[in-house]
Amino acid sequence: MRDRPIRQHRDSGWYEVRIEGHLDSRWAAWFDALSLTKESDGTTVFRTQVADQAALYGLLQKVRDIGLPLLSVAQVEAGKPGPTTKPQS
Amino acid sequence: MLGLLLETKFQVPRRRPGLATRARLIERLSRGADSTLTLVSAPAGFGKTTLLTEWLAIVSANGWSAAWLSLEKRDNDSALFWAYFVTALKRASSGVGAAALSLLQSAQPPIEALLATLLNDLHAVPNDVVLVLDDYHVIDAPDVQEGIAYLVEHLPPQVHLVIASRADPVLPLARLRARGELFEIRAADLRFTADEAEAYLNGSMGLELTGRDVAALEDRTEGWIVALQLAALSMQGREDVAAFIAGFAGDDRYIVDYLAEEVLQRQPEDVQHFLFRTSILDRLSGPLCDAVTGQDNGKLRLAALERANLFLVPLDDRRHWYRYHQLFADVLQARLVEERGDELPGLHRRASIWYEQNGEAFDAIRHALAGEDFERAADLIELAVPDIRRNRQEALLRGWLKVLPYDVVRVRPVLGVGLVGALVVCGDVEGVEARLRDVERWLDPPTGVGKEIQGRATEMVVADDEEFRRLPATIEVYRAALALGRGDGPGTVSHAQRALDLAPEDDHVGRAAASGLLGLAYWGRGQLEAAHRGYDECMAGLHRAGHLADTLGCAIALADIRLAQGRLTDAMDTYEQALRGASGRRGSVVRGESDMYVGMSGVCRERGDQQEAIRLLAHSQELGPLGGLPQNLYRWRVAMARILEGEGDLAGALDLLAEAERLYVGDYFPNVRPVPALRARIQVAQGRLGEALGWVRERGLSVDDDLSYLREFEHITLARVLLARYAKEGSAPSLQEAIRLLGRLLRAADDGGRTGSVIEILVLQALADQTRGDIPASLASLRRAVALSEPEGYVRIFADEGAPMVSLLRAAVNQRIAPGYLRRLMTFMNNAEVTAPVSGGLIEPLSKRELDVLQLLGTDLDGPDIARALVVSLNTVRTHTRHIYAKLGVNDRRGAVRQGKELDLFSRDSDR
Repeated sequence: MRDRPIRQHRDSGWYEVRIEGHLDSRWAAWFDALSLTKESDGTTVFRTQVADQAALYGLLQKVRDIGLPLLSVAQVEAGKPGPTTKPQS
Repeated sequence: MLGLLLETKFQVPRRRPGLATRARLIERLSRGADSTLTLVSAPAGFGKTTLLTEWLAIVSANGWSAAWLSLEKRDNDSALFWAYFVTALKRASSGVGAAALSLLQSAQPPIEALLATLLNDLHAVPNDVVLVLDDYHVIDAPDVQEGIAYLVEHLPPQVHLVIASRADPVLPLARLRARGELFEIRAADLRFTADEAEAYLNGSMGLELTGRDVAALEDRTEGWIVALQLAALSMQGREDVAAFIAGFAGDDRYIVDYLAEEVLQRQPEDVQHFLFRTSILDRLSGPLCDAVTGQDNGKLRLAALERANLFLVPLDDRRHWYRYHQLFADVLQARLVEERGDELPGLHRRASIWYEQNGEAFDAIRHALAGEDFERAADLIELAVPDIRRNRQEALLRGWLKVLPYDVVRVRPVLGVGLVGALVVCGDVEGVEARLRDVERWLDPPTGVGKEIQGRATEMVVADDEEFRRLPATIEVYRAALALGRGDGPGTVSHAQRALDLAPEDDHVGRAAASGLLGLAYWGRGQLEAAHRGYDECMAGLHRAGHLADTLGCAIALADIRLAQGRLTDAMDTYEQALRGASGRRGSVVRGESDMYVGMSGVCRERGDQQEAIRLLAHSQELGPLGGLPQNLYRWRVAMARILEGEGDLAGALDLLAEAERLYVGDYFPNVRPVPALRARIQVAQGRLGEALGWVRERGLSVDDDLSYLREFEHITLARVLLARYAKEGSAPSLQEAIRLLGRLLRAADDGGRTGSVIEILVLQALADQTRGDIPASLASLRRAVALSEPEGYVRIFADEGAPMVSLLRAAVNQRIAPGYLRRLMTFMNNAEVTAPVSGGLIEPLSKRELDVLQLLGTDLDGPDIARALVVSLNTVRTHTRHIYAKLGVNDRRGAVRQGKELDLFSRDSDR
């Protein structure tokens, strides 16, 4: 039950997801992302905030279910341009 | 639980027309089909389901039994998953899964035992069986995954599991691969080759494309089948196919987006609206679509969409239920969320209302939660609580309540207590008392009853007035259950008592629960009369509420209590009355009837009517698995083991006890006759003293333990082990310890009114005193045992003691103790010896060494000669001889030889 405010854990916060192919910006709401960026290398990047690890895996399942190859997932600091750690690709 | 299984999930999906066959893959599958596990692992839209549908038709034609199970997110409940899994297998192969389904009826189904019985059944299946688990990626419950892993490790070779999944399952795949037990079809295998793309586009779809066009499409889609299907759909009836292909090939957008857009744009606007709005539904039917869209042509539209191949999959033969292909649904939903997000709550609300009106509470709740209409969801959940409790689906309830905001739950006392119930049943009791106190603030001082949704947030909300009225008692019932779980007997009693004081007269289930908890608390403490009263009231309440199977569960407890009290006649009456109360209804079997016959069989056995006991067990079995409560699986085996024991088939009895131990389900009953103790008794009878002593150590039993009813059976067994040790090793301390323990046990059993135990203890005391030569004391104990057992017609409790008992009975007859009854006992024992010559008449068989000595006693050799022949001392020969006399119940060498011949001990190999 959500009887406590969500505490900031290491496993919650902002994540940046990169997938192969160009995904239309209309998918932003589907992934609960503020915006989708189509990159010139043929990939798409979006950022989203997750409550915990379970929410992150739920998001990754949504990515899996549309059938586009997943390139990287990385935790990022809100408002910072790049991933906090180098993405594993 | 089983009533809730959805038929559509077992149906092999219908093949959509116009799909190419996959000869290449079918051939591969057929070659790999012998593996235990076939994994078809690839993202959505790669044709996994279609391929398996095609393959299954072929293997079915080849004589394999085939089963299908389409999984959904909600199947992550262990009991529900296995109910579907076992049912699917049972449909494919009728001899499979009956016992497993019966185990699923218990409060916390023992999954390990379930898998064991299932594997047992599967090993006996004569032909090949294949089960396809489709959409396995939705399964993330660790206990389900572990169960599947265990099953895969142990499946017999003729059983094949096929898993279709978008993600590799959590299984030791590398190990299975290395052992050649895994066959895989993956995305790379599933992609259409250039030839297959050509055959599909120009053959099945009749598009007449050039080689270059086909190559361009194949290149752009990379053989992704759903994309090729969408492309074909976009091109049908189109004039400028070449231009379409050029545009498509030159675009780098997400391919499904692009093509779905193409497909959608070619639909009239009203069809597009229909598709978007219904994309929120997991399943679609005409009336449901009408409810969600506010139109009235849903059925026609669905039929038209299916004809147009618009990714609509029929779920049944009658074209009643459909679902969208998931990729297509995702595209539609993503656009719905983006472009008409404000419509979402209304759509979900209408779906929720439709499901509610059609009696599908769970789907109504799901849509209310998806539309974030938490008030509505809370109302629906509250009203569903009694059903959830009856069907034992508390895990589901917990999942929902995690999603509900606390503010919504806090003001709903009935819902709050429903959650407590779910937590208690799931064994998650921390913080439960605090929640109960929170709820009680709404009750005290009592506030007005009624629905006050529109009020301020601090006002109480009640959807189920009936349950609200019962809440004070319900709260106390849960407190009693919590106390029982803590082992707090007095606490259980006081809360259950208070629940009875508070419960309205018409709350039959609540009153029954409280009375049952009282019964359990008293039973566990050995207060048998009070326990009996509790169960009696529980049974009456359940009867009034119409819960017939549960009344039979009570009858088991009531009869168990009577047996402990040594009241065989009353126990028999309990079974018979319960049967009369349950039968006469539609002639169908009531769950629990089998249990009654097993109980009656036990009484008949005890009274020496072996044939009737066997007949009743057979009858119990004839009623089938649906006739038995979860406990019956193990109780039947224990009863049969005791019958085999009486016939001298000790090895057979042990096999049954091993099964019984695996299938043991307590269902909260105190385990007053543990199976391992029964096994130790048989080991004693087999002369396997070391193993019996091992059990004593394992259980940490000692003669100085505090005595309690819960361990009484184990302690009596300990006394038996000690007596056997004395008989075998001649160790005097064992005899003294046994006598001391028996004395303490007798006092405790007398105090508790447990006459059943008293009789057995007296019998053992008589034998112990006989062993040490104190015949007067021995006969005194026997006299009292006989006085208690004669009116109830006990036979076995004496007869099972064999030859030493015969000589004791003879002495007793000479003393004119109940001569009629004792002669009957002796006649029974003589006859039993005829049918069970080997060990049936012996409390304990002769050891190998004793048999050697006995052989020589049958010759003309004297003591010193025998000692020399066996290379032992004369003293050792004398010890052996004394034991032989004791075991055979004789006083001299001639008697031993005569008895030995009667028992067929001379003709047997001396290596037994």
